[in-house]
Amino acid sequence: MIARFIPAFVLLLALSVAAPAARADGHLDASSAFIKSLADRTISVVTNTEISSEERRDKFRNLFREGFAVDGIARFALGRYWRGASKEERKEYLFLFEDVIVNTWADRFSQYSGQKFEVLDAVDEPSSGPENVALVLSQFFTSPTSPVIIEWRVASQGDIIKIVDVKLEGISMANTQRDDFNSYIRNNGRKVSAILERLRIMRDG
Amino acid sequence: MLKTITDLKLSCFLVAALMMCALTACAIPPSGDKDAIAEFEEANDPLEPANRLIFSANVAVDQLVLQPVSITYRDLFPDELKTPVENFITNLFMPLSVLHSLLQGDIERADQAATRFFTALPTFLLANTMPDKEPVFEDAGQTLAVWGFEQGPYVMLPLLGPSSVRDTFGTIGDFFVDPVGWLTETPVTVGRAAGKAVVVRSNNVDQARDLQRNSLDYYAAVRSLYRQRREAQINNGGSTPVQPAPTLGRGESWDTKETASGK
Repeated sequence: MIARFIPAFVLLLALSVAAPAARADGHLDASSAFIKSLADRTISVVTNTEISSEERRDKFRNLFREGFAVDGIARFALGRYWRGASKEERKEYLFLFEDVIVNTWADRFSQYSGQKFEVLDAVDEPSSGPENVALVLSQFFTSPTSPVIIEWRVASQGDIIKIVDVKLEGISMANTQRDDFNSYIRNNGRKVSAILERLRIMRDG
Repeated sequence: MLKTITDLKLSCFLVAALMMCALTACAIPPSGDKDAIAEFEEANDPLEPANRLIFSANVAVDQLVLQPVSITYRDLFPDELKTPVENFITNLFMPLSVLHSLLQGDIERADQAATRFFTALPTFLLANTMPDKEPVFEDAGQTLAVWGFEQGPYVMLPLLGPSSVRDTFGTIGDFFVDPVGWLTETPVTVGRAAGKAVVVRSNNVDQARDLQRNSLDYYAAVRSLYRQRREAQINNGGSTPVQPAPTLGRGESWDTKETASGK
């Protein structure tokens, strides 16, 4: 009996989510174009063999800072511990987070070898803040027949447009990172200094 | 008959193992500190000490057995044989998916799973007759979720890996309701499960290494991944908005009015 009502409920939910899209779809095209352009530029940097690997990493870092809301993601990842962190701790954390995450993504991208990437569509997402949020759907062909669906959560406000989260097969990177970080802090004396120490080790390799 | 007895034994063993863990190594809920209590509840993992122990054992088994087998399969098994083998394993899951789609009131997915199964029968289940459609994977845990059961605390099952109280009941339930289990001998369902494990593992060798290397707490990262993945499966791949989610971090904030300076 309950199951019979579920499709109707899902439909209702879908309609209520889809409704704002009609009003605010200007940012959807902009978000799709943003992802496409960022992907093209990133690919041209990581496949450029004429520059040194150090230069490549610098260029990649600039693109990454331009494309991702690094500070916003970093604060989200720290979750409730952001509140208890001192000014110095926050400052060091933001620097360390950026260093570590840039290295991680640079490693991931260094394995790139010409696979096709295409942007499919963008849908409106509810946002808790003043910004517009679009979920840009794309596919990445790890093999010619079975593409991986990657969703980019893109927030825009005025002239600023940045990625705030990446979802792979429904799994949010930001959520995973936050759960990971919070568990680490919780199991290490519930001190932000513990994570700073660990991030320092990760940064220095 | 024999099969039912072995299944019963297995499920009894699972329940016993769970209870033993619960008795011996429950995390003590924090008292007093409001934040600590909130964290404990958010993690929703009262068996964490026992779960971590089982997780370490599972990781060891993975490194020693599953991962090497999966890499061998990925790199040495002929590509042209992979497709029929993987189709066979997937098709063997379709009867269970039909049953659970029906129990969830989803006629369309039940039809899709049934069509895939029956049209593949003439090829001894070796073909994918619906190449333009994703296969349907439904199980008792997802059905219970659709019926409104909460996932409950996180559970790390020996060998079987991440689960929740709800999904553990689902796993046990599927031993009994799976049509393939009724019609065949136990080795078929065990082989199917092992086959699926190898195929799935062979597809995420690099991702798992990446996660292990880049996470601070691998156990917590896997727990997070499992919960999000289940959520997506329950919603049949439909995206659920992440709430709360990261923001541009301009002006507003979710935890504090202060912002870090110097950046």
